[in-house]
Order: sequence, then C-alpha cells, then structure tokens
Amino acid sequence: MLWYKAWLETRARFLTSLMTLTIFCGVFVHHALYISCSDTFPCAQGLIRPGRQADLYFLLMVTQNYVVIMWVLAVVLLGMGGIVRERALGTSSLTLSLPVSRARLLGVRVGMGVLQAIALAVAPWVTVFVVSRLAGLPVFITQVGLYVLLLVGGGLVYFTMAILVSSLVTGEYTAPATAFGVVLLTAIIFDAWLRRFNVWRLVTGDFSIDRTTYLLSTHLPWLGILASLSVGVLMLLASTIVVQRREF
Amino acid sequence: MMSDNVIVTQALSKSYGSAEAVRGLNLSVGQNRITAFLGRNGAGKSTTIKMLLGMVRPSAGSGTVLGKQITDAEENRELRRRVAYVAEDKPLYGYMTVEQTIRFARSFYRDWRADVEKKLLENYQLPLRRKVKMLSKGMRTKLALLLAFARRPELLILDEPSEGLDPVGVEHFLQALVGRSAEGVSVFFSSHQIAEVERVADQVCILEKGCLLVDASLDQLRQFYRRIDLVFSSTPPEREFRITGVERIQTTGRQMSVFASKNAEAVVERAHDLNAVSVEVVPVGLRDIFLETVKEN
Repeated sequence: MLWYKAWLETRARFLTSLMTLTIFCGVFVHHALYISCSDTFPCAQGLIRPGRQADLYFLLMVTQNYVVIMWVLAVVLLGMGGIVRERALGTSSLTLSLPVSRARLLGVRVGMGVLQAIALAVAPWVTVFVVSRLAGLPVFITQVGLYVLLLVGGGLVYFTMAILVSSLVTGEYTAPATAFGVVLLTAIIFDAWLRRFNVWRLVTGDFSIDRTTYLLSTHLPWLGILASLSVGVLMLLASTIVVQRREF
Repeated sequence: MMSDNVIVTQALSKSYGSAEAVRGLNLSVGQNRITAFLGRNGAGKSTTIKMLLGMVRPSAGSGTVLGKQITDAEENRELRRRVAYVAEDKPLYGYMTVEQTIRFARSFYRDWRADVEKKLLENYQLPLRRKVKMLSKGMRTKLALLLAFARRPELLILDEPSEGLDPVGVEHFLQALVGRSAEGVSVFFSSHQIAEVERVADQVCILEKGCLLVDASLDQLRQFYRRIDLVFSSTPPEREFRITGVERIQTTGRQMSVFASKNAEAVVERAHDLNAVSVEVVPVGLRDIFLETVKEN
C-alpha cells in the first residue's frame, strides 16, 4: 500500500506531465512534418525535403531538446514531497508510526518516481513514432529507443537530485526552486568549463549524434550514462542517510 | 525475562539546543493499565511519545517499549507493529478518502479486526467516499481513533485523543478505551481533559518542564492527597507545617491552607497542638492535584 500512497501523492503531477509531453510531441512533430512550404523553407514537402532523411532525424534531435527540458522539469517536480515535506504538512507522524523503515519509505517513493520518469520518457517518443508513421515518414525504432535510453539513463540523475533536495529542504516552494536552481547552475557551469561532462548534453544526444545524418550512434556514451547513474545512486544514498538521521 | 511494564525509560532526556524538552525521565507504564500522562503545553509529553516511537532521538538515556529498545531502528519498527498510535494533531492524508485511508492502514497490521472496523464506522458515521481534507475536525479525530481502535495492539499510545470530539464522541471514546483495556490492551494517553482522565485512568503521571513530578495510581492519589484548611486565633506559624508530604502552604490572615501529598494526619495533629480553632480535611480531586503540582513547580 506504500506504492498506492506514492501513486496517489504524485498522480496529478505525473498525469499532467504525461499529457503535456505527449500532446506537445504529437503536435510539434505533426506540425513540423506538414508545415507549409515557404520562402524560408523551400521544399516540396515542408521541413522534410524529399529524399533527405537527415531532415527527419534533425527534427527528432530538435524534438529531443524540447523533450529534455520538459522531462527534467517533470521529474524534478516528481521528486518533490516525501517525509520531510510531510513534516511541514503535519502528516509525518502518521507515516513514521507505520511499521516500515524510513529507507523503505524512501525506496518506494524513488521506485514510483523512476517508473513514472520512464513512462514520461517513453510516451512522447512513442507518440513521435506513431505520428511520423501516420504521416508516411517512418523513423527507425532504434533511434526512438536510443533517445529514450539517453533520457532515462542519463537524466535520472536530475530526479535523484530532486529527491536529495526534498530530503534537505522543507518548503513547498523553496524545495522545487532550489532543485531548479541546481539544474540551471550545473547546466551553466558544466557547459562553460566541463562540457565533456555535461549531463544535459549527454541526455539531448549531443555527444552521440552524427552531424551529417543526424542519426544517433548505436555506440552510446555508456561511460557517461554509467557515471550519471552512479552519481544518482550516490545522491539516493545521501538522501537515505539524511532521512534516517532527521528528527520529526 | 519480560517485565510487567510496557514502557520503561531510564534518564530519558531530549534537548533542542539549549532548551531541555525532557529531563532525565524515569517512567514505568504498567501492563493492562490505563496510564494518563498529564502536563501543561510544552511540558514534554509529545516529545516523550515521539522518542518512544523513534521519531525523535533522545539526547541521553534509554527506553524500551514492549521490551524493544526505542533507539534501535529495527527494534523500533518491530514495536510499532505492536503499538497503535494516535498523534496529537490527528494526521491523515488529505488526498485519500476515508475508505482509502482505512484500506491503507489495514494493510500494515495483522491485528486488524474487520468486525470492529465495521462497528466503528457505523458508530462514527464516517462518509466512506469523502476525501479526508473535506472532513470536519471531529470527523478526522474519529477516523484517527478508528484506525487505532480497529486493531488489537498490545499497547495504545494516544496523544490528546479526545481533542475535537463532541460530548457524544467523547463518551464513545472513553467507553472504547475502557473496553480495550478490559481486553488486555495497555493504554498510555496524554490529555488535558482531567475529568476524562479521572474517569478512566488507573495510573497518573504528571510531567512539568520535562520532569516527572507525579507517578502514582489514581487510588493512591485519592487516598493520600488532602487539603487541610485551618483557622487559628492569631497568625499561624507556617514553618511549623513544613514537614514531609506538605507540597504547598497558603496563609491569608489567620487562615491557612495546607496541600499535602501524604502525612495529612501529621498536619492535623500539629494543628491541634498549635490550638487551631478549626481543622477541616478535604479530599482533593485530580484537577486540584494537577494544578497544585504544576503551580508549585
């Protein structure tokens, strides 16, 4: 029933994010595929020129860039809440009186969040796949899969960062503001000085895209993904320690 | 060997910075008894309860609940399985309906009694499909009590349980409390409602500024605590009455009022020796005992 509680707590945020991401991707790709030819886009079939498959994959790259922004916003919001927030709401004494360890409380919350984050990565890309097929411009399913993999494998670190922030910061607005601040700050700092380690670029596919075909290489930056996941695990461990030591 | 006490604390203390919430608390709560935990706001009652349930770490001292160490996370989790707890502010998840809340709570405990749940739902007239955030304060209190009473725990810990209940609700609650006790459930509850405590409690503990001042059975309190009203022909000598058991002396002109926790006979004898014009020994209620105890300190 802890899973049920976690679902009830996050379902509004999750469903809103899911709807927004799916609708955005559907409309964006559909519109891009059918955009009227103009002087700006001198082509026979809109943005995607006949015989130029690279145009189609360039569109996918642009889509991923937008999806990443919305996905990160969504997973940071999904990471909010938890026992520290419950303390401010006055419900922590009910949760903590249950015969359940604090680590398990956090574990269930993380489990539910990870499943939702995966769904938020899969749903928009399935929409892109379906819309492009219906438009008669099918994309390789492997490319879709790779984008999803980059998003989840590389991007879950943003979710775990949100979990850590929510274990440290109580305020309803302070916690998400801090988490978004951290996302922005790390993106700026890493882009300026540590570009090779910039998770944002890893997630958007910047490190693994072929600039001629705009296809993602099947040789994904596994090391980067592994490093990102490892940092995520470390942040979860830190969150567990914080929650276990905290007084309510 | 399992002791007869369901709660035992030894020099249990809790400080928040320089503020001491609980100071060297030595508490023993007996099995199969209803023990009331009294004290003013901020006396340290809720902090003590939170320490017992592992929500707050003691600064010093130790304690056991049902034989399990309160500071050991694993043992504390085990004891929470055997304890039913209703917190002071009756916390419930506002986004759940009454039905979802009951289903949620039920899933954690093997001692849940569906028949009692059904009966309490009828008594309390709780709307199953209504969201908790839409319930009145009284209804929320009833739901919180249902979650505790629908189980058959070894120990019930209740923090100001009747707060927000109407007189009918209070009556149901007191009956339920006595009923659980009769079934062999030990009860430890904090309250500001002294009249209620006096009706149901076997044992009374009074906490003031984090210190345990009184720990006695209600019968003992009734038997030994007395107020002795004295009238003298001239101003009475207060120091003559400062003997063991005398908690407080109040003198107004030729009249003197002595509040004694024991030794009332010695006070009377001394009053006669000093030629008191009038001597009247009055039994005192729990309310007076509580007020005099916390006033004195």
